[in-house]
Amino acid sequence: MSDRMEGVKKLFESKSARVETNRGDAYYSRLFEQCQARLGELRAQEPLNRLDFSELLAEQGTDRRDFMKWVSATTAMLMLPPMFAPLVAEAAELMNRAPVIWLELQDCAGNSEALLRSDGPKIEEIVLDIISLEFHETLMAPSGHQAEKQLEDAMEHFKGKYLLFVEGSIPVGAGKDWCTIGASGENFVDHLTRVAEGAAAVVAVGACATFGGIPAAAPNPTGAVGVMDVIKGKPVINIPACPANPANMVGVVLHYILTGQIPELDSLLRPKFAFGYRIHDNCERRAHFDAGEYVEEWGDAGAKNNFCLYKMGCKGPMTFNNCSIVRYNEGVNWPIGVGRGCIGCSEPDFWDKYAYERPMADAKIKAPTGGVEKSVDEFGLGLLTAAGIGIAIHAAASAIAGKKEDGGEA
Amino acid sequence: MNSGHKQVKRMTAFMRINHWVVAICMVAAVLTGLYIGHPYYQTLMADGAVDKYVMAWNRWIHFMSAIIFDVSSIVVFYLYFFSRFEKPYKKLIPSLKNIKEFFNVFVNLVTLNRVKKFDSSHADSFNAVFFFIFHLLLVWMLLSGLQMYVHGLASGISAIGAWWPALLHLATDWTVTVTGGSLMDVRIWHHYSMYAIIVWTMFHIYYQVWRTIFWKEGDIAIVIGGSKFVKEDKQ
Repeated sequence: MSDRMEGVKKLFESKSARVETNRGDAYYSRLFEQCQARLGELRAQEPLNRLDFSELLAEQGTDRRDFMKWVSATTAMLMLPPMFAPLVAEAAELMNRAPVIWLELQDCAGNSEALLRSDGPKIEEIVLDIISLEFHETLMAPSGHQAEKQLEDAMEHFKGKYLLFVEGSIPVGAGKDWCTIGASGENFVDHLTRVAEGAAAVVAVGACATFGGIPAAAPNPTGAVGVMDVIKGKPVINIPACPANPANMVGVVLHYILTGQIPELDSLLRPKFAFGYRIHDNCERRAHFDAGEYVEEWGDAGAKNNFCLYKMGCKGPMTFNNCSIVRYNEGVNWPIGVGRGCIGCSEPDFWDKYAYERPMADAKIKAPTGGVEKSVDEFGLGLLTAAGIGIAIHAAASAIAGKKEDGGEA
Repeated sequence: MNSGHKQVKRMTAFMRINHWVVAICMVAAVLTGLYIGHPYYQTLMADGAVDKYVMAWNRWIHFMSAIIFDVSSIVVFYLYFFSRFEKPYKKLIPSLKNIKEFFNVFVNLVTLNRVKKFDSSHADSFNAVFFFIFHLLLVWMLLSGLQMYVHGLASGISAIGAWWPALLHLATDWTVTVTGGSLMDVRIWHHYSMYAIIVWTMFHIYYQVWRTIFWKEGDIAIVIGGSKFVKEDKQ
């Protein structure tokens, strides 16, 4: 309960969830100048690797026109006016000035996979290829003490400047002692706290790193929590979803390169440019929802006609994410597009509270009485039955006892 | 009128109208709310999507009945303190007299009218507390419902201006945190609370009928004609 009280306090202190899409000319011209100055500074710096962005694009067969199309889309995604497009393009080219350390904790490496394994070289991947990835356990060649040496060097060399990407949850309960990493057997909490110390900002990527995700699902054997519950006094940016959309990771890094600041965040520390809108409101099947046309079971006529998946447990109406707009794999498709519902993976506790693949009313969740798992409606009907029995007993007793006109002792 | 009985006014015309408006709204909100939670009837496949608007109409009725419900509750809240007929808050103050009356009415109910040590000609503390619980449930439904409603106003603008979603966030964002931290928790508790309101209504109807039968003072007529009858010697 003290956690919740803390949360309530934070809610009233935090800025409203409103997404400001137009802040006026004065704001944007000031920001434009700031960004220009910032990019000038970065350009003057020595690049951290020898990768050249335009060469990479040419090698992968992406022409300038495709790149500029991507730039316009990314500028729009970051909710900046079109005049920022040249700056966004420049920022993408200057990505090799951004040192990044990537930690993996309790996770499935799904977010790293999402970055690496799309079906062809996408501009997002190229952009993320040229960021100066100083440390990434899964991708690096060295291991053991050598790997740790590399981490130490990077932390020392880029102190106060590197972005720390974290993938995976942190066990702070029973699992705190048995989840260790590296040759020195450091536990996850110490590891994260130590590396976060010198970071400019911490970016939690994926459902696990943001809100604990699947490791934190009931009964949460390791006591898993998200990064924001461990790291205090540092800017934390949450990019939830399972996996996080690479477009949003690029967006956050680009925003940092461009402005030197972290993007505007909502009360769950998610960037508003990506998590400010509800999936439901931009869903291509929304008209079927309003019409009352639902898929009743997998493969029925409704499913063949792309009807709404609400009755199959789609959680689009309670989930904030931009996947109905930017989709995945460069706009190829997304969960609802392939005919299965949203499981709310960008929301806290999604595995227990969203991903049960049936409407909330039928979900087997813990009743307020605790223990027994019941659907909300089963619990409600139980309550009604109990009330009905109580009334029936009283009524029957009253009838048998007979009327008493005057009251007073019988 | 029976000889030996006296007619006592218990509800003004406005209170009675309000009662039935609220009753109709409640039935409408439950029927449409259950559909929104889990669409329990199907639309005709053969019709084009443009010809039917089933979920949208259900939501429309749900919101409309909720708004009428809520506005009437605001009026009732005002009447709690400023009604010229009777001020219910006076029966809610936990004074010794009120606590005593509350238990006397409760004892009357559980002893099946064997013991009746209170004046049934006016509103009593037991009913006042019982109705207060109902009004708290309504406030909860209002705030949790508006929290879910504001999710669709993510742009920060609405038909009546930007102040409305801003006000909704300010007034209802806490419901997310106290129910458990996710938007789904608000839905779950909104749904649970509906059952609490139905249970409340079941007991309310039963108790009014029971009082009518056992007290023999015509209590059930209050909500229609506005008055009941009390034995003269009691006055």
